[in-house]
Amino acid sequence: MSSFTRKKRLILVLVSFILLVSLVGFSIRERSELTLPEQFIHDTVGWVQTIFNQPVQFVQGTIDNIQDIKQTYEQNQVLKSRLSQYKSIMQENQMLKNENEELRSNLDLQESLRDYNPIDATVIARSSERWFSQMIVNRGETHGVKSGMAVITGEGMVGKVQTTDKFHSTVRLLSGFNRNNRISAWVWKKEGDPIHGLIQGYDEETDKLLLKEIEYDAKIKEGQAVISSGKGGVFPAGLRIGEITKVEIDQYGLTQTAYVEPAANLYDINHVMIVDRSMPTYNMEEQMEEEKE
Amino acid sequence: MIQRFYLPLISFLLLVFQGMAMSLLPSSLVYSELLITPHWVLIILMLMAVFFDTDDTYYSILYAVIFGLLIDMVYTSMLGVYMFTYGIVIYIVHGFKKMLHGNFLVAMLLSIMGLCITEVFLYTIYFFSKVTQMPWESFLLDRLIPTVIANLLFFFLVYPLLKSRMEKWSETIQRN
Repeated sequence: MSSFTRKKRLILVLVSFILLVSLVGFSIRERSELTLPEQFIHDTVGWVQTIFNQPVQFVQGTIDNIQDIKQTYEQNQVLKSRLSQYKSIMQENQMLKNENEELRSNLDLQESLRDYNPIDATVIARSSERWFSQMIVNRGETHGVKSGMAVITGEGMVGKVQTTDKFHSTVRLLSGFNRNNRISAWVWKKEGDPIHGLIQGYDEETDKLLLKEIEYDAKIKEGQAVISSGKGGVFPAGLRIGEITKVEIDQYGLTQTAYVEPAANLYDINHVMIVDRSMPTYNMEEQMEEEKE
Repeated sequence: MIQRFYLPLISFLLLVFQGMAMSLLPSSLVYSELLITPHWVLIILMLMAVFFDTDDTYYSILYAVIFGLLIDMVYTSMLGVYMFTYGIVIYIVHGFKKMLHGNFLVAMLLSIMGLCITEVFLYTIYFFSKVTQMPWESFLLDRLIPTVIANLLFFFLVYPLLKSRMEKWSETIQRN
């Protein structure tokens, strides 16, 4: 009897181990589409989270409002003094915009890489497993979200859409980026052409993004801004990514690697915008995967 | 009859809250250097294994596999890891429970043991699949110990609420 149960136990452990390995093997590759049961579960959990989120958001909003009211007087003084400056800047901005549009229409360039339609979304949950930097937002396929789109806050880029369900989607944060999630980026300089590089991964020890493949002789200084270039095929150009904090030569001495401090706070996120660029998108990563298959 | 659905419902709600807590609690607490991970569902499952299941019923293991898979689907992009870990841990706890009498001390010690095994399993699997590159020592200090302590606090919170109720539900279900 006891040997029978022991055998049964052994078989159970082996079968579950095989199941584990095959499930992990199935899901470890970068998937841009989820299976139907997964989508269903995501949406169900998402709805329940939305229901419970509403009252919490309300309370949080009220507390924020009260704090805002306390500071209103001081803010008002500061803002008044700045208002006159803004007026002149606004006029200048308007003039430049008009001029730009005119020149564009002369050149028959209707859309630029910089144009995009933002889709507003609210963060309803984050991964409870800290080793996965991802969060769930309340906009999905039906609202026009597609996997691969950039996700930004007012401060800068926070990540990209990893997978979509019908009404929710999962966002991979910058802190979870690896070799497979690249962003084509520019180091912005006041004068001269921007320097091209690729954001390839995140350094967990220093909490900085790694900007690689920078030409050996490019001159980069700390404090320069890094923005998306729009050449990767999905993101629009001009999204703020961060600021350079350190530059070093890579291990083979052929290119430079820069450490980039993300502009947005990756931990305190409530509302985000999903960026749908106006130019046709071209997902190179998917293309490459298809070719491989 | 309806009592059958109380525990799955509680587990499901806790699974939902686990993710909401990460975005709603102040980020200075949740996203400090310490990688505190909520295992609320696991705590409920371990209480179930001790107080709800008899020696011949295996509800807790079944729920462990189901809710493990749900956590995998919702919060990580890798399937099977939580499912396997939770399943094995609850199986071990269930086995220990047959030998021990269910009281507060036993439940607490089994919970501590279960949390430790869970964390070590998760670390091992995620380490070999290159999800994390954390060295063993910093895992021990930054993740294992804070997580066990934080989840133990949750255990102290739910133990008085659920212990006698679970025993009652268990009896009514067996009578039917």
